[in-house]
Amino acid sequence: MFDTLGDKNSVFAKFQKLAERAKAVEATGRSPFGMRFDDMLSQTRARVGNAEILLAGTNNYMGLTFNPDVMAAAKAAIDAHGTATTGSRLANGTYSDHLDLEDELKDYFNAASAIVCTTGYQANLAAISALAGRGDHLLIDADSHACIYDACRLSDATTIRFRHNSPADLEKRLSRLPVDGARLVVIEGLYSMLGDVAPVAEFVEVAHAHGAMLFVDEAHSVGGYGEKGRGVSQAQGVLDKVDFISGTFSKSFASIGGFCVSRHEALELIRLVSRPYLFTASGSPANVATARAALALIASDSTLAKSLWDRVHQLYTGLVDAGLTPVSPPGPIMAISRPDEHQALAEWNMLMNAGVYVNLAIPPATPQAQSLLRLSLSAAHTEDDINQIIAAFRSLPQAG
Amino acid sequence: MTTDSTEMYNQISGILQAHSKVDIQITPQTLIATDLAIDSVEMFDLVMEIEEQYDISFPLEEASDIDTVQSLVDIIERLINV
Repeated sequence: MFDTLGDKNSVFAKFQKLAERAKAVEATGRSPFGMRFDDMLSQTRARVGNAEILLAGTNNYMGLTFNPDVMAAAKAAIDAHGTATTGSRLANGTYSDHLDLEDELKDYFNAASAIVCTTGYQANLAAISALAGRGDHLLIDADSHACIYDACRLSDATTIRFRHNSPADLEKRLSRLPVDGARLVVIEGLYSMLGDVAPVAEFVEVAHAHGAMLFVDEAHSVGGYGEKGRGVSQAQGVLDKVDFISGTFSKSFASIGGFCVSRHEALELIRLVSRPYLFTASGSPANVATARAALALIASDSTLAKSLWDRVHQLYTGLVDAGLTPVSPPGPIMAISRPDEHQALAEWNMLMNAGVYVNLAIPPATPQAQSLLRLSLSAAHTEDDINQIIAAFRSLPQAG
Repeated sequence: MTTDSTEMYNQISGILQAHSKVDIQITPQTLIATDLAIDSVEMFDLVMEIEEQYDISFPLEEASDIDTVQSLVDIIERLINV
C-alpha cells in the first residue's frame, strides 16, 4: 500500500508525512476519519460493525433525516422526476422544484433573490467568488470555513483576514483600504468547530459604516437560531440589514444542497457568470424535494427548535458537572478542548467503546491548533440519549 | 539596507525570535517555517502581530508567499508604502 510514496518525483511524494500521521492514528484503534457506518438505524443511531452507536456528531440539528413527511417527499420526487437532472442549472438542470424552492427561500428570509446550488460548499464558492472581483476587497473572519477560503482563492479580489469575531479589528482593516473597489465582509453565524456565535449586528454596523456589504454563512445556525429557525442574523434583529445569507441543506434540512439569498435583487446576475454555479450539475429531484419538505417543517414547527435547545442545556450542564466545560456558551455545537491530539484521539476511541460517536477535530482543521472532541446535537435526541452521552464522557479518565 | 530598513529588519527578527522554538542566529536568508520551526498557526499569529505594529493588512495571497525573513521584510516595506 502507498508504495509510490518513496519516489521523490511521484505526485504522491508530498503526502509522505500525512500518510505516516494517518497510519499512526489508525494504529490506535479505529480511524475517526471517513468512518464506516454499516447501517443507519435512525436519526440518532447507527450500527458500526456489531455495535449500536449513539450519534452525537452528525450536524442533524432538526433530526429530520427519518421524518416520514420528508422521506415521502424524496420518494415521490424520484417517482415523478427520476434520480438525477444530469445537467447544470443553466442548461437542462432547472426543474420546477428548484425554482419553487428558491421562491420558498425568498419568502422564508424575506429576500429579493435566492439561488439554489448543489452543495453548501458550492453555494459559498459560487456567490463569494462571483460577487468579489478584480479590484475589490474580501474581508473574511480568520476562523472561516475552508469553503470561504477556497472561494477567496477562486475570486480575483484581494483577500484580507480579520481577527475572529472582532468587529473592532474589521473596522481597522476597512479603514486601511483604498477608496476604490467594492468591499465584501464574510462571516459565519455559528462557527462549526468551536460553536461560537458571531456578533452579526455589530458586524452589520461596521461593514455598512465603511461602505462594505455583509455576507453571513448560516450553514450551522439555520434551524436552531432565530424565529422560525431563520438563523443568527434574524435572532439578532438584523435579517433585513444583512446583504447576503448562505446556507446548506445538508444539516438542518436533512438533504444535500446549498443556497444564497439576498435583499438585493441583482444577486440573480451571478447565475450568468459564476463558474461553480454554471459548471456543476444541479441538485437531484430527491434532494430538492427533501429540502422543500424540511423547510416547510422548520418554518412551521417550533417544537423542533425547542427540543434541540432542551437537549443543549441538559448536555451542557452534564458536561460542566463532569469537569469538561465546552469552549463556548451552550449551543447545538459543543467543543471540548483536549491537551493534545494523542489524548483527544484516545478519548475518542474510549467514547466509541462506550457506544457514543462524536467528531474528532485536530489541527490544521481547528482554530488555534486545538484538539477537540466536538459534539453536535439533534432535536431527535431524547433525554436518555443525553444521559448516555454524559455517562460516556464521565467515564473518561480525565473527567472530573 | 537603509537605516529604516535595518531598524525594521531588527524589529522583525525580534518578533520571529519570540515566536521561534529554536535558538539560532537569524539572517535575511533564514527560512521561517523550516529553520525557525514556525508552523502555519503560529505564522498567522505572527502576521497579526506585525499587522498591528505597522498598521498594515497582509493580503492572503501575499502571506502565502512568505518564506525567508527577507521576503517578510520586503512585503512589509511594500505594504507600508502602498
